[in-house]
Amino acid sequence: MSKAARTVPAMRKADYAIAVNDLGVQYNLRFNRKTTLRQSFANIVGRQPPKRFWALRHVTLELKHGESLAVIGPNGAGKSTLVQVLAGIMRPSEGSMEVRGQVSGLLGLGAGFDVELSGVENILLGGAFLGLDGLRTAELLPSIVEFADLGEFIDAPLKTYSSGMRARLGFAIATAVDPDILLLDEVLATGDANFRAKSKARVIELVRSAKAVVLVTHDMDWVREYCNRALLLEKGQVILEGPPDEVTALHLERQAAETARRQEAARAAGLDPVLRPK
Amino acid sequence: MSQGEAAVSIRHSSGGVSPLALLREGVTDILSRRRLVRYLVSAEMKKRGSDTFLGNLWWILDPLLQMIVYVVFISIIARRPAEDYPLFIFAAILPWKWFSAVINDATTAVVRHDKLIRQIAFPKLVLPMATTNAGVVGFAWGLVPLGLLLLAYPHRISLLLLWIPVIAVVQYVFTLAAAILVAAANVFFRDLGNAVGHSLRLWWFLSPGLYSLAALQDLSVIQQNPIIGTIAGLNPFAVLFEAYRAVIYGTPDGGLPVHPDLVSLAILLAGSIAFLGLCIVFFKRVEPDFAKVL
Repeated sequence: MSKAARTVPAMRKADYAIAVNDLGVQYNLRFNRKTTLRQSFANIVGRQPPKRFWALRHVTLELKHGESLAVIGPNGAGKSTLVQVLAGIMRPSEGSMEVRGQVSGLLGLGAGFDVELSGVENILLGGAFLGLDGLRTAELLPSIVEFADLGEFIDAPLKTYSSGMRARLGFAIATAVDPDILLLDEVLATGDANFRAKSKARVIELVRSAKAVVLVTHDMDWVREYCNRALLLEKGQVILEGPPDEVTALHLERQAAETARRQEAARAAGLDPVLRPK
Repeated sequence: MSQGEAAVSIRHSSGGVSPLALLREGVTDILSRRRLVRYLVSAEMKKRGSDTFLGNLWWILDPLLQMIVYVVFISIIARRPAEDYPLFIFAAILPWKWFSAVINDATTAVVRHDKLIRQIAFPKLVLPMATTNAGVVGFAWGLVPLGLLLLAYPHRISLLLLWIPVIAVVQYVFTLAAAILVAAANVFFRDLGNAVGHSLRLWWFLSPGLYSLAALQDLSVIQQNPIIGTIAGLNPFAVLFEAYRAVIYGTPDGGLPVHPDLVSLAILLAGSIAFLGLCIVFFKRVEPDFAKVL
């Protein structure tokens, strides 16, 4: 890591891995996965103003090598969007972001590249997608196969895998490339207990060897135990950033308040879940 | 720690990138990920070959069967088709199958990898590129039935057949450009596939594949409105079909193979390169929005 930092002249603080400055991501709802030519013509003729919304706004954070950041928050808070921007999958609509080092991410469940191909072929294809050269992929292949621990399934097409097995293969590929920055989006909850223990150990190992980790999770025990920083997002805004204990406490508190508010509203509407006749 | 050294990536909000910079970026994308394109092509080939009972044999049978359908159909309607008609239309069916298959596949090239696009950052240009290259493999297989068919017309076999790869290069550039265009556009308009399917069918019948360009120019409508004839001559597939036919079959009146019209091929190549540049710029401009829309 220090080598990477030294080769780059001290443009900023020398030891950060990720620097995000006033980041915003805006979605244009005019285009979505169901947009058709007919609708677009209708929109143009009807002069409908484009609908937009901010999935993330005014997010500023800096992460040093060796730090492990947990991103928590309710559904739709922008957690996954943040990780996607860090992975370079999405371009920010405003603000800027700098990432120093090789990024590898395991975003979403069921990572796999081509369901018709075998496990080994998926590893090779995955290496090419991640931008590794052929030699390096061939070098890494045995360790990935060993870590995924899929037995004879490694030569069977991916479509015969269970979702847990696919997640194992994906995790093995993403972590084997020895990334400087590892992004994980709700992947720790998959697989059987055995593999979960193994993947936890692997993440801890990566954190220890001075790698930066950004992790999206709903598992508060994980956050308190293994992350040294946490970030609470709600509706695309940063609510609090700091030590895990503090942030998770606030998150749970706000969640409880939200639940209470919802129950109150339900009661007012005469839909009391407790008093409802059976 | 060999990979991490120069890997500082900085991303600012979009906007303000010049078309030339986008073009350079796009070309670098393709050149730096040649291995990925190769893997994607071989995966595609493997799937196509292993899915069906006859496997790869279909790549040979398919154009032959299509040719037979048209020969029967045209013999009934036109009564007196051109001399050695099977070879006459096969020279057009072969390149058209390549183009139409690629464009049909390319409409979903980006969309069907939606999961992958939301999981990893990689240059999306490799997707239509792989589709186009897979088409080249199919075209190469199509040369086998062409060889078989030529055995039935031995007097038409000549060294002029060596022009086929040259004409194919021109077609490749044009096909790649069109594939990149439809792959990007389909992300935003999901029903483009329907429009593309019908447009392709119309394009095929309007192009001089089943008939020669000269026969088209003889129509009374075109005699009266020469402008339509000019437009018909500007059709990229008018140029390509005429060129393929010149070297495989011969002149439209049944004569033996001749050299292709190199001037119109050169113009088409120049136009296709410009078109490819525009399509790459368009693709790169909308690429950052793919992950948001998919």
